[in-house]
Amino acid sequence: VTLAGAGTRLLLLGTVVLGALLISVAVGAVRLPIGDVVRAARGFGDPTHVAIVQQLRLPRAVVAALVGAALATSGATFQALLRNPLAEPYILGVSGGAAIGAVGAIVLGWGITAAWAVPAAAFAGALVAIVLVLRLAASVGSALDTRILLLAGVVIGAFFNACILLLLTLTDVESFRSAIFWMMGSFAGSTWRGAGIFAIYFLPGLLLLFGLARSLNLMSIGEETAAHLGVRVERVKLLAYAVASLLTAASVAVAGVIGFVGLVVPHVVRIAWSGDYRFLIPASALLGAAFMTGADAIARVAVAPVELPVGVVTAFVGVPFFLWLLRRRIA
Amino acid sequence: VWLPFPPVSGKDGIFLSLRSGTFSWLRLRAAALAVGLLAGCAGGESAGGAREAGPHGAGGVSAVDDAGRTVSLPRPATRIVSLLPAATETLVALGAGGTLVARTDYDDDPELAGLPSVGGGLTPSLEILASLRPDLVIAWEEAGAARIRPRLEALGIAVFALQTQDTAGILANVARFGHLLGREAAADSLGAEIRGQLAAVSASVPPGERPTVLYLIGIEPPLVAGPRLFIGEVLEAAGGRNAFFDVTAPSPQVSLEEIVRRSPAVVLVPSRDSAAVMARLRGAPGWRELLERGDTRVTVLPPDILHRPGPSIVPAAWLILRAIHPGAIEGM
Repeated sequence: VTLAGAGTRLLLLGTVVLGALLISVAVGAVRLPIGDVVRAARGFGDPTHVAIVQQLRLPRAVVAALVGAALATSGATFQALLRNPLAEPYILGVSGGAAIGAVGAIVLGWGITAAWAVPAAAFAGALVAIVLVLRLAASVGSALDTRILLLAGVVIGAFFNACILLLLTLTDVESFRSAIFWMMGSFAGSTWRGAGIFAIYFLPGLLLLFGLARSLNLMSIGEETAAHLGVRVERVKLLAYAVASLLTAASVAVAGVIGFVGLVVPHVVRIAWSGDYRFLIPASALLGAAFMTGADAIARVAVAPVELPVGVVTAFVGVPFFLWLLRRRIA
Repeated sequence: VWLPFPPVSGKDGIFLSLRSGTFSWLRLRAAALAVGLLAGCAGGESAGGAREAGPHGAGGVSAVDDAGRTVSLPRPATRIVSLLPAATETLVALGAGGTLVARTDYDDDPELAGLPSVGGGLTPSLEILASLRPDLVIAWEEAGAARIRPRLEALGIAVFALQTQDTAGILANVARFGHLLGREAAADSLGAEIRGQLAAVSASVPPGERPTVLYLIGIEPPLVAGPRLFIGEVLEAAGGRNAFFDVTAPSPQVSLEEIVRRSPAVVLVPSRDSAAVMARLRGAPGWRELLERGDTRVTVLPPDILHRPGPSIVPAAWLILRAIHPGAIEGM
């Protein structure tokens, strides 16, 4: 891929993201004429419409875009580090850790007194999972052996799942229901504050991973090759694992576990265009943002006023598209 | 048709008119209230006093919700969204059905069918809620993580949070809604009528043995009504002894072994499909043996009436009385 070609494609993807954001703000359970939406976004017109557009739709679209970008970037990074096409953001047990944190906070009733308690507990749980997995992997094999990491992630994830089932069994029906809602994943709770906090994590993380793109290119061939070519493998690995996991942790904290985006978006970019991480990282971020924003818009309007879990939409839309892309590529 | 009750005549008949549901009773009540108010009771409404006591001075109303917060309105609510069918039912019984501006997908009163739906009561569309400009939203106080209340409050919409579990809660709701709507007189009379009807149910219990009763909320896994849940209280009032009198949770999950060991005389199962319930219990190990022994009688009851902690508690109590004591004669 030439530099100019990559630039054009990224520009195109950026336009798609903007389009998805605009559509997402324009549609919803309440039908508003496009003129009203534009006026409301600028703070004019009916105060109820202003509240709907500025406080409900806009922050939600922005958070969906940021989370989609974070999950896709994180998925692409894990696929390079683990050299495994099945790798996705939750593969190292981050989602299990986040879920145990969130479910614990819900069962203990913390979320009643402070709205930020559940996302904070989810983030803390995800951090515990990351540290446990990395420590476990470091203490067993040579530092951060890929196979050991994968096994540690799967084992820790399974253990956390067991803990969640235990908590859910012992809790009352009410907390059970709240916990299940949380685990289904949704952007319904998005606020400007949440979007701001997420952006603070996301932007430096994205830049860091983009900075590691050349090393990731070499590491996806093989760690030894990368080392021979001058990559400081251990450092790159630790940094990339930490950043990708943090992005996942922040995503799970604000929106719960939303599958499919982190697994498939990087593959779509690879199949359609290029697997060069200098292109793959920003392209995955943009495509992930557009895909998640669009999926959330569909989730909100498909059977309005009832909202579908966004994970249902990402799978229902993404799977057929991905299969079509795969077939076209093979043929 | 699916209820094994003897036909009842006269005044009590309204409590068994199940086809038309609870609302026949509620509408009757609302109508009676309207008549009462027109007949001059309106002047006697103590609403004025309560309004002046409100924090907004004259005209303001307030009440403490189940989250422990004092919800204050500058004037009695006139545009209400109730996210809970039981609260909706209470409002209708207070004669305030006209103040409702939306319904949920779970409200089955045909009179509400013309209102826009906000979706599910626990997962309403915030957009639609906001667009209806309600001055009061009645919502379930979620355990663990409050998702709806803070969002609505951020939009400047007053939220009254409920977590109704028992009869005291049902009566408290009636009184509190009375304050928030400026309908204290209607609330007083509805509260008195619910108390009176429950007392009438207790008075109708035939003397003698009080059978052990298991109220089975869910079959697999077995979820039962504990004594603290309103349905558990109704069960005692209707002359039964709760087979799980000793549990603390409102609706705990129990083991089938324990059910078999306690072998209740009466099992009440809320379900719309009586035949399916019976087939399922007869085919399930444990239940099968319990039923074959012949000491246990299963009665299937309509869930819509029984699972609403609101004025439906009255028809629910009569239903349960007849299920536990098929021969009971109502001494109103």
